Amino acid sequence: MSDLDPVIHAPARLRIVVTLAALRDGDNLSFTRLQDLIGLTPGNLVTHLRKLEDAGYVTTHKNGSGVTARTSVELTNGGRAALDRYTSVLRGLLDSAGGPAPDPGK
Amino acid sequence: MSDETSISGGTDPDLGTPAGIGDQDAVMGAAEAAAIMQEQDQRARQAFRVSHRGSFVAWGAITLLGYGVTWLAVHNAHPAEGPNPVGFALVSVLALGSALISGAEARSDAGVGGISARRRRINLTALVAGLVAMYTLEGALYRAGAGRPVLFVFEATAPILIAGLFYLTTSALSLDWALAGFGLWLAATAVGAAFAGPHGVWGVDALTAGLGFLFMAALEPRLRRATGLRLQHS
Repeated sequence: MSDLDPVIHAPARLRIVVTLAALRDGDNLSFTRLQDLIGLTPGNLVTHLRKLEDAGYVTTHKNGSGVTARTSVELTNGGRAALDRYTSVLRGLLDSAGGPAPDPGK
Repeated sequence: MSDETSISGGTDPDLGTPAGIGDQDAVMGAAEAAAIMQEQDQRARQAFRVSHRGSFVAWGAITLLGYGVTWLAVHNAHPAEGPNPVGFALVSVLALGSALISGAEARSDAGVGGISARRRRINLTALVAGLVAMYTLEGALYRAGAGRPVLFVFEATAPILIAGLFYLTTSALSLDWALAGFGLWLAATAVGAAFAGPHGVWGVDALTAGLGFLFMAALEPRLRRATGLRLQHS
């Protein structure tokens, strides 16, 4: 289990990364839609995004200001590569344990 | 303009909330992680997938009923006549309904920005430009002396041709081969129906294009399931 990327290997962050990876390359997702799809409170989502951003796995963009401000989140190439590595390691662990392999649509 | 900003330093009212999905670094086994990945990937892809079923049904009704009523009204008329007021009103009401349904379908794209959003805007601009060009061209044909039969053939076929090209370009955005085939079908239908003349063109378009839309509406759930299976096994 120690080979699994600790930044991704947490339920909420795993959901965030998998959700963003479901978008096409070059697409981003608004903070509110991401929150709807993950089911986190805004504060918790910010906390997890901060960890992912610190690792270079996501970037956030803010458009506008005041009540019209829109924050969007995008998976970086590094984040996509990290998810691929995570999936590969997880698949290896499950194979060795004889369990079902993960397949996040790739 | 979008300026990249860091969320570091943002307020965090729920920092440390211990329970549920927001757990900071909850212990998770490999099997649980795999299950979360599968479930969340399925949920996200389902949420992002745009369904055209509602607009297929609406446009099928527009074409089948609107064009069909027009054909019934004009097929015995000599000299050739164009759409009657009842048919035109019916088409207008159904077109309005279709626009509302299309708006509801666009909710799948809500919150998704970036390249896909820019592609969609260009695609819709092309549709609007095509429709504006169609009516402008019709004016030019009238001004150049085109007779009423020619204009009626143009009125009946041009919207179908434009719809076909619209679905063809839409299919390119998502590499949707079924939608590409349907776009080609509509374009071929429009061109072929024009040879049926100012009377028959309405009837041919009503059947071939109208039933084509309804066929796609019936087929779409099956195509979506097939796409899902491909994603899981690829």
